Amino acid sequence: MARDRRAAAGVAPKTDVSSFLDWPHGIARLGVALCTAAALATGLVYFAKAVDRLGDTACTNAAQNFDDREFAGGNALVVANRPLYEARALIPENETYRVVTGPGVEGATELTASFIDHYARYFLMPRRPSPDALWIICYGCDPAGLGDGFEVLLEDEAGILVGRLAG
Amino acid sequence: MTVRSLLGLAALNLFAVGVGAGLLWGLRGWRSWWELARLAGLAYMLGVAGLGVVLSLLLVAGVPFSLATIVLTGLALAAAGIVVGFRLRRARPSLGSAPRRIGLVGAGLAALVIVYLEALFRAARLSGLYAFDAWSFWVPKAKAIYFFGGLDEQFFSELPNATYPPLVPTLEATAFHFMGSADVVTLHVQFWFFLAGFVAAVAGLLATRVPAVLLWSFALLALVSPRVVGRTLEPQADFTLDYLFALAALLVALWLIERQPWQLASATLFLGATMLTKREGQLLAACVIAAGLAASWREWRSAWPRLVLASACAIALALPWRAWYVSHDLTGEFPASGATGFLDNLDRAWPSLQSVLSSAFDAGLWTVVLPLVIAAIALAFIAGARVLPLFATLVYALALAGFTWGIWSFTELEVPIEQDEAINPVVRLTAGLIVLSAALAPLLLDAAWRGTDRPRRPEAG
Repeated sequence: MARDRRAAAGVAPKTDVSSFLDWPHGIARLGVALCTAAALATGLVYFAKAVDRLGDTACTNAAQNFDDREFAGGNALVVANRPLYEARALIPENETYRVVTGPGVEGATELTASFIDHYARYFLMPRRPSPDALWIICYGCDPAGLGDGFEVLLEDEAGILVGRLAG
Repeated sequence: MTVRSLLGLAALNLFAVGVGAGLLWGLRGWRSWWELARLAGLAYMLGVAGLGVVLSLLLVAGVPFSLATIVLTGLALAAAGIVVGFRLRRARPSLGSAPRRIGLVGAGLAALVIVYLEALFRAARLSGLYAFDAWSFWVPKAKAIYFFGGLDEQFFSELPNATYPPLVPTLEATAFHFMGSADVVTLHVQFWFFLAGFVAAVAGLLATRVPAVLLWSFALLALVSPRVVGRTLEPQADFTLDYLFALAALLVALWLIERQPWQLASATLFLGATMLTKREGQLLAACVIAAGLAASWREWRSAWPRLVLASACAIALALPWRAWYVSHDLTGEFPASGATGFLDNLDRAWPSLQSVLSSAFDAGLWTVVLPLVIAAIALAFIAGARVLPLFATLVYALALAGFTWGIWSFTELEVPIEQDEAINPVVRLTAGLIVLSAALAPLLLDAAWRGTDRPRRPEAG
């Protein structure tokens, strides 16, 4: 009981060191001591690394501006974040939109055409994507192919258009 | 990323503590307010699991999702716990005696964990949403619930991984309501709360059972693993699943050696929440139950009916979501080749196992957590303990076998999987075992030290 109380209080019980070689309980206790020492040593080394890494991350995050933080993962996909911000400002929340992609975006990566509609869906919610929407985000597409009456409301220097078909 | 968002999250998580405290009083009761303070982490995680499960069920039932729904649901859960507590004549708590001292080493290690959590909070505070899966479907699902007040049919069928369970998006949408906007930056802080709650829950459960040096050494070791440091704040379901699974497994382990009904009842809620968090939650829950059944085989007459009842209740909590997605013709939950389709691809067996083992034992991701757990299991067996090391062996072995089956069966995955850890699906799976180790390793080593896994004191709580 006394030993249990000491152990529960985190106080090392008084144990004869030679008993650590007794089979099986001594060996088991020696193993517990070694495992705890290994956990402790590894934990302390990685603790220093973790706090250092987290400090760097916090500094990097703090140095970013509002747009960079909000756009975050999108920066790897979109060529510029202004068109999506403009789209969010222009398209009413209860209307639908579609993203039409094409090869004509300057600075696009191999991810851009594949994932821009995914990212727009996330970024523009609660606006819904719809294949026959009047609002169009043209990501390097051919505007002539969008039909008559496509009014361009934003034209980005990279070749991204935001506009609306006449209803 | 405003003070209002932070205050909103603080209010939400205090609310979760209150809901969980009500549930805990019904399930277990507490003798003193000090005891409640010790178990506040468990109360919080019970509140999170309870809110997550019931709000998910309400969404499936088509109940409009709003701040009022959330608050009323939480109040109903807390009230249910209090009513059960009165019916079971739980003693009214007193102030009680102050908690025992934890010793200098234990206090030092606990302080390091607090410093780590503070560093993690600063990283979470202004973090952008970079994780691909998070912006691709976890957070959009949450936004859909938040903006449209339910499981919007368009978004929930068009977004990737449509059959993934809704508990985490539901909790994220709850956070949006409390923040007052879909603030995806401050949302990272909610995942900090989950981690801190998990650590507090494990500490509260083990504080009276194992020496502080064991408890905090392994908590620190698991927390500072590079993968945990880098990914635990991502607003997706992976680590939330791991916390729920680890708490369920820890409570079943404690129930196996102490047989307190509240432990199995709490584990049931966590198992249900696990199954409602990710599809592999079903596999992990099955591993816990199967290991519990095997470890209690000597007392099967009393133990097995209770475990079967617990698993039936957990499945009942998860079934409505399955009914919802089946009724909406959504697929993708299981391998296209079926549960036994892996037999047609026997050549994938070894590379699948290789992928799982190389991920689980990758020191660059998890340091030495799993090797130390294996040593702890062996030492507990050597010292004469049986139930705990058998349970732990089976949970880890069954989970590794289950992960192997998953990789083997999903033939669209190229094996062996050698992708970068950021997109490696096996790494996500094995994280659960590392998180579990923070809870089980101290118990196993304590059993090895004492030469038995019988409880120190039956009333350890």
